[in-house]
Formats: sequence, structure tokens, C-alpha cells
Amino acid sequence: MNDSPRPALRRIVLALNGAPTDRLVVSYAASLGKPAKAELVALHVVEIDWTLPLDGSVSGLTEEAQRVLDIAEADAEHLGVRLEPVLLKARNVGAAIVDEAASQEADLLVLGLPYRKKFGGDFVMGSTVPYVFKNAPCTVWVVREPMPQEGA
Amino acid sequence: MFVIVVGGGKVGYYLTRELIGAGHEVVLLEKTRARAVQISDEIGSVVLSRDGTEGSALAEAGANRADIVAAVTGDDEDNLVICQMAKHHFSVKRTIARVNNPKNELLFRHLGVDEIISPTRMILGAIEQDIPVHELLHLADLGSGDLELIEALLTDESPAIGRTSGELPMPEGCTLFAYIRDGKALQVRPETQFRGGDKVIVIGRRECEDALRGTLIGDEEETAAI
Repeated sequence: MNDSPRPALRRIVLALNGAPTDRLVVSYAASLGKPAKAELVALHVVEIDWTLPLDGSVSGLTEEAQRVLDIAEADAEHLGVRLEPVLLKARNVGAAIVDEAASQEADLLVLGLPYRKKFGGDFVMGSTVPYVFKNAPCTVWVVREPMPQEGA
Repeated sequence: MFVIVVGGGKVGYYLTRELIGAGHEVVLLEKTRARAVQISDEIGSVVLSRDGTEGSALAEAGANRADIVAAVTGDDEDNLVICQMAKHHFSVKRTIARVNNPKNELLFRHLGVDEIISPTRMILGAIEQDIPVHELLHLADLGSGDLELIEALLTDESPAIGRTSGELPMPEGCTLFAYIRDGKALQVRPETQFRGGDKVIVIGRRECEDALRGTLIGDEEETAAI
């Protein structure tokens, strides 16, 4: 077992997507960040397709995104930590997460990954997590939700 | 300005890069997934791995609000389809097409493509300026109409030699614009008398080229006989 000290955690970026995994992400990030007195940044990216300008009004989407951040803030408060909410609009979620982690100089990026299978039974990871794995400048921690119970 | 570039070859890649550098909003459509990923890695998430000849791909790229669609694939047929769809289905204000085969230029023009870029024609023009392979040289199209800028190289045998510009029977729709003598561009006046070696610049209609050749250079058979 390696006894090397844990790396310093000054800032943790939590990428939230509005899925049930957000609760796990906040919980694990709080358990790591609280003892280290790390700053926690909750990031939610609203993906805007190319049919709309990036600076255009997408009120319905923005309200939903705000709700995601509000829930995360309430969960964090319950766990005794403070979250700084960041809401972004972007063309590509993965690229926006990586850019924000870089500009925040994050030491750790935490993402949630729902347990999903496509028709035929293969596990689906989507495109955001692989993109972040490939491009994020900091340590990346992916919290995959537990496998659903058989027959549940 | 929002620009959709279709085709991620060398032209599309550098065009996208330059437009982004100039502060424009750009999306690039490239149908080959591996190439799309490669470009995306290099210039960011502005690439959609879709076939731009499909209406659904142009719709996804935001053709409904595009200011310009530039079709720069290596395939003339694809470029024509892309511009046609952009123009007539999405009402894009300006369409630009790369035309590889100069013979397709007229077709593109007739079918309403706003701007036609023919690298082959440009290179040919550059070569002909140094080594005139035809006595009449197409210099440039003027706007989207039929008018073009033509250069005629006069030889000592040209019927225009020794006559003033006012005496020349210019074909309908052609105007003498300027002439180049000893490397110097000069304005054509009614009393201007042409000499062998002069390059005469004419604004004229495409269909007048044969008549213009007869006036300034002489018919090929006559010239050959001399």
C-alpha cells in the first residue's frame, strides 16, 4: 500500500447533469472537500444546438438548469459545505466542462455517470465522460450510479 | 456572422480556422468521422460529423439562421446540392461554392449559387498571365451577371494595330477599359492608337468573346494564314 500523502485539494469542480447521480456527486465531493477545506464549484452546462445563437434566450432550459443547481446547493448545505454555482451555455457539454475546469484551475473534477444499457445489453458511457477523460487537465473522478436491482 | 462550412478537407479546415480567428461563429460539417474528430481536437467543438448534402445535417448545423454557407468539398456535385439546399430550403442569404471543374461554373451560376470559387480557373489565369496560351484571357467575373474582365494581347498582325480605339468596331456589349503598354496601365481614349504587344483590357459579355477576338486579334484562320 502506498502511504504517500494525498494531493492538495483547493478547488473541486462538480459537473452536474440533472440526473439522480448529482446527489452522489455532491455527497462524494463534499466528503473529500470538507476535510481539505476545498472550494466546491457546481457546474451545470446547458447544451444549445446550432439552430440557436449561443447568446439567445432559452428561458425554459435556463430555469431547469437553475433548478439543478438549487437542488445541489441545498444538498451541499445539508452536508455542511458551500457550493459556488456556475451555469454555462455551450455547444458541447464535454468541451465546456473541460474549459471550466481549466479556467477554475480545479484540482479535481467529479462527474456522475448513470448506469445505462443500450438495446442488446451493452453498457453506454455516452460521449461526455470519454471526452473529459481525454481532455481534462486535472484529476477526474467519475461516480457511476449503482447497477439497478434485477427486476426493479 | 454565422458561417456554415461544408467539407473538412484542407480548404474547409483552414477556412474554419481563419473565420474563428476573425471572431465569426462557425460550424464545420465533415462526413468522415475520423477526420471530424481530428479537426475537432485541433480547433475545438465546432465540428459536426454529418454529411452536408443531407437536409437534416444542414438543419442541425443551424442553416435556418446562417448568414453564409460555404460548400468547399472536393466534389462539385455535392457543393452544388449543398448550395441549392441552403438557398432554396433554408433561405441562406449567401452561398459560396468551390468548383473544381471550370466547365461546371456556368451551371452553378445558372442554378443560383451566389459566389463561385474555381481554384483551377485561378491557377490557369495565373499561368496564362505569364505565358499567354490564348490571346484572349479571362481575368475576372464582374459580380454575378454575365460581364467579365478580358485581356487581349495584340500582336503586330492584329487588325487593331494602327487604328485608334474610336475607329474599332467594338461588338455590342463590349467596352475598351484600359491598356497596358511597357508594363504601365493607361486609360483608353478615343484617340489611343494600339501597338503590337499592348494588352487591352475590355469589359464585355461572355457571348461576345468571338466577335471581340475578331476585332482585336483577328480570326484564327486569318492569323494562321499570315
